[in-house]
Amino acid sequence: MRQGADIAPANVAVTRRLFLGAAAALASFAPCAALAAHGASPLKVVETIIIDAPPEKVWSVVSDFAHADWLPGVARVEASGDDVPDQARRRLILADDGVIDELLTKRDAERMMLGVHREGDDVKRLPATNYTALITLRPSVDGKTEVEWKARFYRGHPTNDPPPELNDDVAIATVTALQRAYLAALKAKVEQR
Amino acid sequence: MPALVAGIHAKTMRRVARKAAKRFALAWMAGSSPAMTATLFLSIAIAPPASAAEAFITAQGADALSIVDLSKMETVATLPIGGKPAGIAVSRDGARAFVTSPEGKFLTIVDATTRKIEKRIPVEGGPLGVAASPDGKRVYVTDLYGRRLVEIDLASGAQRSVGVGAMASGVAVAPDAKTIIVADRDDNALSLIDALTFSRITTIQVGKHPFGVTVDASSARAYSANVESDDVSVVDLRARKVIATLKCGSRPYTVALAKGRIFVANQHGDSVSVFDAESLAPVDTLKVGEYPEGLAASGDGARVYVANWFSNELWALDAQTLKVLGKAETGDGPRAFGAFVRDAD
Repeated sequence: MRQGADIAPANVAVTRRLFLGAAAALASFAPCAALAAHGASPLKVVETIIIDAPPEKVWSVVSDFAHADWLPGVARVEASGDDVPDQARRRLILADDGVIDELLTKRDAERMMLGVHREGDDVKRLPATNYTALITLRPSVDGKTEVEWKARFYRGHPTNDPPPELNDDVAIATVTALQRAYLAALKAKVEQR
Repeated sequence: MPALVAGIHAKTMRRVARKAAKRFALAWMAGSSPAMTATLFLSIAIAPPASAAEAFITAQGADALSIVDLSKMETVATLPIGGKPAGIAVSRDGARAFVTSPEGKFLTIVDATTRKIEKRIPVEGGPLGVAASPDGKRVYVTDLYGRRLVEIDLASGAQRSVGVGAMASGVAVAPDAKTIIVADRDDNALSLIDALTFSRITTIQVGKHPFGVTVDASSARAYSANVESDDVSVVDLRARKVIATLKCGSRPYTVALAKGRIFVANQHGDSVSVFDAESLAPVDTLKVGEYPEGLAASGDGARVYVANWFSNELWALDAQTLKVLGKAETGDGPRAFGAFVRDAD
């Protein structure tokens, strides 16, 4: 599996270890039948970053659901549905030919909020299921923008008593790394570094 | 915290004293006997303050129960529960709250008045949905993983179970105490259970992935929120069939009934869909907080409360005007899956 080399610039604001871990999880994500089976306890991860650009500028990148090729590990994007929530879908085609299918669930320009739901899970590669993200932009100091990337997901194991590789901690660690990588890539894209 | 409690207490006492003084003055002016006014004063002074309506919100991320004062829209107590609490049922008399912990595999019984944990009862599998019998003597718990509904006799502690469908989620007891309805999520069906014989009467196919289930006050209709088909199935309990399907927002999770209306929380829509319960016509779609989950009405039907999982808030909605009346911050990850409102005494 190729990883790292064809991803983002090196000067992003995350540790290389974390970045590579997330990229590996992303790049190895493959499609499978949409299985909705999950347990009783959704998990939450909230990550934020400050971007040195006004909210409008950040929003123009974040809200462009159909052209999210700035996401780490993504080679190109195929999209449909004209950015209309609950209709618009995108297929992220990864550098290793894996794909991720996502549905736009929310696009609120006024409040600068974007919602995305991942369709289809493969816990052998990403040890979390039913991933839904809510990205919110808020004005920060000195004309900068705070971007919050919140996720809701379940651990990889669909019932109680998970094996260690599919427990809550593994799911939280993986999604945390993933979201930090997303935010770092967004920052790099907007700040043109 | 004690200073705050003392402050509230002092304020209440001052208010009581002021009221008593006013009545005393009025009685004096009216020329009533000092004995009578003294009795009046005493009865006011010693009457315990009526408890406000409260919401018992399972905060799954916080591993706790957030108790929200609904007159102030403020979290006034946090009870550590453990085991990732999700389901909630307040008994009809408001004396107890029953909380499921699917990860801990137990049911917690909370004394709703003293806010103390009374008992913790082990329940095998993944206890999730919970409902109390109208007389408060039995509690019904769905086992998400075990294809069963568990009945717990509170006096004896005895448990028995009846087989239901796959991934049993929401549960509701009809107010006439005759029927129990279970949402069999992964079977796309409801199971109807005879409460007396505790046997499964029938199953009814509904929309895709029913999660929350609610029965109306006359025990005539049940409503299931079908997460994956974005609709609500309206079930006639006597005819045992779906009589209507209501299209709502994205990912409907739970249903509440108030003021002759049907309220549905839409997780992805960040909204509550409102329908007329008689005509079944859509009335409105209300914007609420992020990722709404639990939904419940006050006993008088004046208000509907919605727990917002992503934004950690409980919102109060006016069931008539459909205006937002207030918001309260809760513990992390409010699910509030069940009948979470305890009405004022």
